[in-house]
Amino acid sequence: MIRRNFVVAGALATGLLSFGVAAQAQDIGIGLIVPLSAPGDPTGGQLIRRGAEIGVDMINAQGGVMGRKLKLFVQDSQGTPQAGVAAYRRLVTEDKVVAVTGFFHSSVSIAVNEVAKEMGVPTLALQASASDITAKKYDIAFRTHAVDPARVSAWMELIKKKGYKKVAIIAETTDYGIGLTEETIAQNKSGNFGVDIMKVTFDNKATDFTPQLLQIKNFKPDLVLNIGVGQPMDLIIDQATTIGLLPGTPMLISYDAPTRPQYWKLHEKNGSGVFFIAYYSPKSPLSDLGQAFNKAYREKFNEDPVYGALNGFGAIMILSQALKNAGAADPKALIKALESGTFKSWPDAAVTFPRADGVYWHNWVPPILILQYTKPGQDWKDADVVVTYTK
Amino acid sequence: MYSTELVVQTLISGIMIGVLYALMALGITFIYSIMRMINWAMGEFYMIGSYLQYMLVAHLLGPDLWWLAIPISAAGVFALGLAVQWGLLKPIFKKPPELRDDYATVVTLALLLLFRSLATGIAGPNQFTPGSNLPIVMVGPMPLAGARVAAFLFALAALALFWAVLRYTWYGLALRAASQSRVGVQTAGIDVLGIDRMAFGIGVALAGLAGALLAPVFLVFPTNGMVTTVKGFEIVVIGGLGSIPGALIAGVLLGLIETFGAAFLDSSYQNIYGFLLVLVILVLRPTGLFGERGREA
Repeated sequence: MIRRNFVVAGALATGLLSFGVAAQAQDIGIGLIVPLSAPGDPTGGQLIRRGAEIGVDMINAQGGVMGRKLKLFVQDSQGTPQAGVAAYRRLVTEDKVVAVTGFFHSSVSIAVNEVAKEMGVPTLALQASASDITAKKYDIAFRTHAVDPARVSAWMELIKKKGYKKVAIIAETTDYGIGLTEETIAQNKSGNFGVDIMKVTFDNKATDFTPQLLQIKNFKPDLVLNIGVGQPMDLIIDQATTIGLLPGTPMLISYDAPTRPQYWKLHEKNGSGVFFIAYYSPKSPLSDLGQAFNKAYREKFNEDPVYGALNGFGAIMILSQALKNAGAADPKALIKALESGTFKSWPDAAVTFPRADGVYWHNWVPPILILQYTKPGQDWKDADVVVTYTK
Repeated sequence: MYSTELVVQTLISGIMIGVLYALMALGITFIYSIMRMINWAMGEFYMIGSYLQYMLVAHLLGPDLWWLAIPISAAGVFALGLAVQWGLLKPIFKKPPELRDDYATVVTLALLLLFRSLATGIAGPNQFTPGSNLPIVMVGPMPLAGARVAAFLFALAALALFWAVLRYTWYGLALRAASQSRVGVQTAGIDVLGIDRMAFGIGVALAGLAGALLAPVFLVFPTNGMVTTVKGFEIVVIGGLGSIPGALIAGVLLGLIETFGAAFLDSSYQNIYGFLLVLVILVLRPTGLFGERGREA
């Protein structure tokens, strides 16, 4: 009796497994690696995920790609290279995806690319800016985001425009933080800006930044560059306010976190006056795809999409067009199609991935803006545009 | 050259953060001293305390009654601790002690994952803050957030109350006796499983209290207990497992070493300085600074 039950259970399990594999084989898998828990920036990851999910729904509603549905496989990188690499391996070996997108943290993207160049499934980084992601010129590495040199050029323009002479950098000890710090020091030297720069660094798992901020206060800077991502970025704003560094000394946030609805909930009293990098403004023109996404996003989440969500959506649009051009759900064919094609995404501009020099290899760079909140609770769409930098 | 003001500010900052670290470590060491088990989910009880504080202040009581939310949050975590001990830990403590450590490790690690996943599932991965209406306070030359000063004072009061209960009440005497000999306590007619239940409840409530106190200072999110747990275990090793005075002194020591290291050596290694201290203590005094004395207390 027991033996017969085992046979029946075995047959059922085999049948279910076969059905599962067959169902999976009909879909085209796309991997998404984003931070969904600390020490990563889970809000950043969630926004990209929202955009990518709407993108997949829109493509599938139109019949999919080559008659097959797209299926999104989401993995949490936790903002750490080891979790990101494990996620990539799983997506490629178990879920059989043809491409992996997402990548909010530079350290994760750089580490994954080292594995991806062996495994052959292309990566499309959406919000990781370190130069090495594309500067290593790996065939599999693609990106639609601002790179370190462009981002630093934008804030050096701000520093020049405002006449700042002493700048303190507080940066996390990740590829992102170190890369931006080194690039700032290099551009200050090569561009003869003559700015006196102080740098202090921190582990991104730390929660108390008072010692670093006391050092910075002692330096009496004209500007503080906050190169933290996620919770450290928010804690630095709060702790700088406590020790009296803010609001007297202006602060520049190195990415677009202040555009998120969460920003004013966390910094109701001390969020005004900060400068921040952004890559999209509602004043920027959107493509027809971007407008359709804007509408779908507002209907679903009752708020305007920000850059992370737009770029998550854009990645799915780009990959689906490249898959159509490739004519097969094959990573090698997809890489060729990405390199040779011109794609429509959310901005009203063509997206291409040329085999260009240095950091611009396989890289499309959006315009970089520096915005500033001038009053508490201000809608980011009304923030002052202080710098517009186009590569 | 560093100014005297910077040194004094760093000293104050180190002591403040150290006392708050100690509160977390106290819960770990207290549970260990009575139940002889390590609660790996301590950080998650801290996290639950911080979420309770946020929900009470942001949605029920309002920011002016933040002080009332603190004991309610700690009491909520205490009740959860009683339930966890009764439902998950008590059954194994009724049996012979051979497998208790393994079982307690598996159960508390599973709780860690469960609570963290529940927090993400219910509240999402975003950060929250209950906010604070307290003004910035000058402590000597050091400006400090009112919420941080309040957390420091509450922590000191909680530590003092905890010590007084242990020292001067009958129940405290029973808890201290259980920490010395579980068999001895049983032979004196005391319900040792009841003692366990209270010890687990009080231990996790201390973590929940720390979470509630620090919610406006270090934000509220699903993994916010991770760092404090690591610090808690460092303090336990430095101060001595089971030693209550050791937890307080080691907490302040860790706070000072991290703060001074970050301010005057290299801030990149802020979290490393504590581990270096742990290594030094393990080499020179493997039972911790107060390990043996703590077992007698």
